[in-house]
Amino acid sequence: MAEEHVPMQAPPPGPSGPAGPGGPRPQGRPGGPAKRGKRSFVRKKKVCRFCVDKADYIDYKKAEILAPFIQERGKILPRRMTGTCARHQRWLTVAIKRAQNIALLPFAAEL
Amino acid sequence: MEERQYDLIFICRPDTPEPEIDKVIATLEHAATEKGGKIESVNKWGRRRMAYRVQKLREGYYVYMVLKSTHGEVVKELERRLKVSDAVMKYLTVRLDEELKRQDKLKRHRERRAARRPRKTAPAAPPLPTSGDQAAAQA
Repeated sequence: MAEEHVPMQAPPPGPSGPAGPGGPRPQGRPGGPAKRGKRSFVRKKKVCRFCVDKADYIDYKKAEILAPFIQERGKILPRRMTGTCARHQRWLTVAIKRAQNIALLPFAAEL
Repeated sequence: MEERQYDLIFICRPDTPEPEIDKVIATLEHAATEKGGKIESVNKWGRRRMAYRVQKLREGYYVYMVLKSTHGEVVKELERRLKVSDAVMKYLTVRLDEELKRQDKLKRHRERRAARRPRKTAPAAPPLPTSGDQAAAQA
């Protein structure tokens, strides 16, 4: 019985081969080959930049360090976008708000 | 009471002459010592572009100073003076000693861990002796 199932499963990868040119697929998953639009990709794990630097304190006076963490419009970027860890995000928001107060960073884009 | 540390930043109008800025700094220093505080350092960042317009101006002359004091009265007095001063457009006082304390604590913690790590990695070394034992057994 088990031997019969193996040839049954084998054909699907065949049709998926011609469909493959759309993009390299690491492995044909059951159900995966049939749908062309969906492609599973491995998201790169984002690492907290402050943890990498082993930062104990985020200085609000260094606007150039804080700048990558705000949007063009002046909003603070969420953690899920930047990959900052919870602790550093907490410090970061405080630092950004202080910097905004002393006009080192904008509250909102002008005009 | 424990000594507190503050960051004091103020922005002067960009067209104020240098001597006048020095005068503002001098009065602040004087006021601080009078109230029992101490200005540790003064750092003139100079003219720089502000992130948004303040009093319709795009640039400002930044002055940064570190203040140490045992009570908050000093800050109150200094802020009052900054508010009164015509040259000053904007100011900010931030109490920092607690954050510095935290920073210190984390640093010490990390150093302790770093000091302990060699001992932790040491147990990983044993494979070598065991292989040596095996070699001895084989011999």
